[in-house]
Amino acid sequence: MNFEHCMRCTICVENCPVFRVNPAFPGPKQAGPDAQRFRSKREKAVDEWVLLCSQCKRCEMSCPSGVEPAQIILEAQQRFGAEHPHTPAHLLFANNYYLSALGSLTAPVANRVAATATGRKIFNAFGIATSIPFPPFRFRKLSREKKTRSRSGRKVAFFYGCFINFYRPDIGRKIIRLLQYFGIDVVLPPQWCCGLPALGNGNLSLARSFALKNAASLSNYVDAGYDILYSCTSCGLCLLHDYQRILDVPQAKKIAERTFDLHEYLLRLINDGDIEPAFTEVRRALAYHIPCHLRALKIGYPAVKLLERIPGLSCAVLDDSCCGLSGSYGFKKSNEATAMELGRRAVYRISKTGAEAIVADCGSCRMQLGALSELEAFDPVEILCESLNICAPKTG
Amino acid sequence: MIEYDVIVIGAGVAGFTAGADLAGKGYKVAVVTTGEPTVCLSTGCIDLCAGPSAREGLEALPDEHPLRRLSLADMEAALNGFKKTMDDLALTYTGGLDVNRKVLSALGSFKTTCLVPDTMAASPQTNDEAIHIVTFEGLKDFYPAYILSRFPQASFSVYDAGASTTMGIASRFEQGLFREAFVAWLEGQRIRENKIGIPAVLGLEDTQGVLREIEYHLERPVFEVPTLPPSMPGRRLFNALKAHFRNQGGDIYWSWPVAGVEKTGHLVEAVFTPTDGKPNSLNARAFILASGSFVGGGLTATRETIVENIFHLPVFVPSARAGWFEDNYFSANHAISRAGVLADSSFRPEGAGFENVFVCGGILAHAQILKFGCGNGLSLTTGYAAAKACAEYLS
Ligand SMILES: Cc1cc2nc3c(=O)[nH]c(=O)nc-3n(C[C@H](O)[C@H](O)[C@H](O)COP(=O)(O)OP(=O)(O)OC[C@H]3O[C@@H](n4cnc5c(N)ncnc54)[C@H](O)[C@@H]3O)c2cc1C
Ligand code: SF4
Ligand code: SF4
Repeated sequence: MNFEHCMRCTICVENCPVFRVNPAFPGPKQAGPDAQRFRSKREKAVDEWVLLCSQCKRCEMSCPSGVEPAQIILEAQQRFGAEHPHTPAHLLFANNYYLSALGSLTAPVANRVAATATGRKIFNAFGIATSIPFPPFRFRKLSREKKTRSRSGRKVAFFYGCFINFYRPDIGRKIIRLLQYFGIDVVLPPQWCCGLPALGNGNLSLARSFALKNAASLSNYVDAGYDILYSCTSCGLCLLHDYQRILDVPQAKKIAERTFDLHEYLLRLINDGDIEPAFTEVRRALAYHIPCHLRALKIGYPAVKLLERIPGLSCAVLDDSCCGLSGSYGFKKSNEATAMELGRRAVYRISKTGAEAIVADCGSCRMQLGALSELEAFDPVEILCESLNICAPKTG
Repeated sequence: MIEYDVIVIGAGVAGFTAGADLAGKGYKVAVVTTGEPTVCLSTGCIDLCAGPSAREGLEALPDEHPLRRLSLADMEAALNGFKKTMDDLALTYTGGLDVNRKVLSALGSFKTTCLVPDTMAASPQTNDEAIHIVTFEGLKDFYPAYILSRFPQASFSVYDAGASTTMGIASRFEQGLFREAFVAWLEGQRIRENKIGIPAVLGLEDTQGVLREIEYHLERPVFEVPTLPPSMPGRRLFNALKAHFRNQGGDIYWSWPVAGVEKTGHLVEAVFTPTDGKPNSLNARAFILASGSFVGGGLTATRETIVENIFHLPVFVPSARAGWFEDNYFSANHAISRAGVLADSSFRPEGAGFENVFVCGGILAHAQILKFGCGNGLSLTTGYAAAKACAEYLS
C-alpha cells in the first residue's frame, strides 16, 4: 500500500505517542501520507519535524488501510539526514556500537564519568538527556563468550544485540543456558550493531554497512543449517523488516526466513511437542509492558504464552503505552520532555495493575520504566530461568 | 504450529463481541486484524435500528435484513450482556429496545440511538431546553454556532486548553491540575442555563469520573457532544471491548492482515498473512469473519464488481456500477450500502459451502447502516449470534 491509500481517518494520529504529548509534531498522517504528496526529489528536504518521530510504528499497527506512515517518515528522516549536517547527539547515537564497545573496554572509567555531575554536563552539552541514568557498561562482553555446544539436532545462532552485549551480558548468558537446557546448540556468530540506531539517527550509510556485515555473517550460518534467534525486539524488527525494505541487503530475505524471536522459537518447540519445560512455581505479580517493536513483529506476544505456563505467576499485559525512550530517541535533549511524559504515563498504567515488578523484552523499555517506577524490570528470560531453576554462570 | 479453537478476523465491535463470548465459554480464541476498527470513528453510541424504538424499527425491516436472522430474545441478551460488561469496565451504557434516545450532535441536530454512553445521557431531548455549550480554542470541526442556531435558549463560551485536537485536549483532561483549572474557569463563567454541553474530549481513561467531577462543582448535569472523527467516545468503546476480550483470555495479533486461507473440502484450516520472512499462519477449528464493510476493509470495490478479500465469498452486488450511487451525495439510500456477504440463519456465508466459517457485522449484505440506523448495534448483536452458532458447531 502507498500513501495514496490513506483515507484520512486519523486513527494513526490517535495512536501516535509523540503526537499526544508534543504539539510540535504534526503526527503520522501529516508527516507521512499527507506531506508525501509535497515531497519532491528536486527540492531540499525542509521537514525537520520528521526527526521528532520515534519510529515506534504504532501508526502502522493501527492503520486500517495498510498505509505505512512510519515507513514514509523513516525514508523522509533518511533524506533529511543525508541533506543536512548531523548534530553531535545524532552522530554519537548512530555510532552507539563503537561508543559502547569503547565504553565496555574501559568500563570502570566510563561508568564513573557517566555518573558524575560533570559527566552529565558534558552529555547535556552534546544534546544528550540525563534524566534517567545511562546503563552502566559491563567489563566482559558477551561476544567474548566461547562457543557453547550441546548434543542435539537443533542448532541456533544467537544475535544478541548491543544492549545485551555491552550492558547486560548476564541476560545473554541466561539465554544461552536456557537454550542449552532444552538441548539446543547455541553459537554466537560474528556480529555488529543491527544498524537500527544509525537508521534512527538518519545515518543510512552507516546503517547499511552494519547490515551488510551482519548479513554476510548470518547468511553463512543459515547455509550451515542454523536458525537465527534474536531476543531484542528492535534488532529483530530491523533484521526482518529494515534489511529488506530500507537497507536493500541482498541476503535479507533468506535470513528473514530463518529468523525467530527467542520466545517464538521456544513456543513453537513446545507446541510441536519437541520440548516440555517443567515450570516450577514463581510467586510474582508482574506487569508485562509490550515493547512497540514486539507488537510490530506480527508474531503476537509469545513470551506471554510462555509466562502463562508458570504456576503462581500473574502477568497483566499492557500494550497500549509506549515507554517513550525508543532506544536513543529519548536520550536526545530535544526529545527528553516527550520521553519523560510518555514514560510517566506508562508507569501510571503499570502502577494501576498493582504489579510488583515489570517485565519487558526490550532493554531500553526496561531501563526507562525501571528508572521511572523504581520497580524491578526483568527480561522474560529471567523469569523463565527462575521458574526452571537455571542460573547463569558468574562473570569471570 | 499454534492451534486455536477460533480465529476471529477483525477487531471491531463484531469481532471483539464474538471473540469475547467464545473466550468466555473457554475456547482458545485469537483476534487478528489489519488495523483499528470503524468504531474508533463512530460516536460510541450503539445504534440498533432507527424508529421511535428499536423494537418498532426492527418489525419494519425488510425480510432480507441481517437483523431479521436474530430472535428478539437473542438481541436482548446481546444488549444486556454488553451493558453489564461495559458497566464493569466503568463505561456505562443506558437504554434498550423499548425507546430510542436522542443525542445532540455537533451540528445541532439530533441523532437517535439505542444505547447511550453515560457521558451523553444528559443530552437534551428537545430544542427548547436551556443549554450552555463550552468549546475549546482552535478545536476544529466543532462550532457552537450550529447548535445555537437551533436552540433559542443556548449560549456558549470558549476555553483555551493549550491544545486544539480532540486527542490533545482529552489527554489534558486526564491531568488533575488541568481539570481543576478548567472547573475554576467554568465556575467563573456564571452560567445560567441548567445543562452544560462539552465536546466529547473529557479524557479517555476515566471519563465518567471526570464528568462527575465537573457536575459536582457546577451543580448541574453535564453531557458530552460527540465530535466528528477522531472520536474519543468511539475510542473508549474500542479500548473497553479490547480489555474485555483480553480479560476473557483472548489473544490479539495486530497488524496481521489476512491475505488468504488454507482449506480442505468444506473446512478452512488456517489463515495466513504476508511477512518479511518465514510464512506466518494461524490455524483453528472455526473462523469468524468480522472484517467490516468498505471502511473496515472487508469489502473492496473494483471497477466491475465488489469482492470479499479473504475467503472470496460470494458477494451480493446490488447492480452494475453505474447504479451504485444516487445523485444526492447525502442520500441514505445509495444502492452500494446493500452490498455484502449473505448469511444464512446460522450466520454461515450463503453459497460458499464452508462448514466452519461464520460471518457477522458490517460486512453483511442488506445492512444499509445509514438508512436503518443500525451500525454498532448490528455488529454487536450479529457478533453475539455468530459466536452462539460457532459454539454450537464446536461442541
Ligand atoms: C464516521 C462514522 C460514524 C459512525 N457513527 C456511528 C454511530 O454513532 N453509531 C453506530 O452505531 N454506528 C456508527 N457507525 C457505524 C459503525 O461504526 C460500524 O458499522 C461498526 O463499527 C462496524 O463494526 P464491525 O465490527 O462490523 O466492522 P469494522 O469496525 O469495520 O471492523 C473491521 C475490522 O476488520 C479488520 N480487517 C478488515 N480486513 C481484514 C483482513 N483482511 N485481515 C485482518 N483484518 C481485517 C479491520 O482492520 C477492522 O479491525 C459510524 C461509522 C462511521 C464511518
Ligand atoms: S512511528 Fe510512532 S512516533 Fe512515529 S509517527 Fe508513527 S506513531 Fe508517531
Ligand atoms: S490510519 Fe492510515 S488511513 Fe487513517 S489517516 Fe492514518 S495513514 Fe491514513
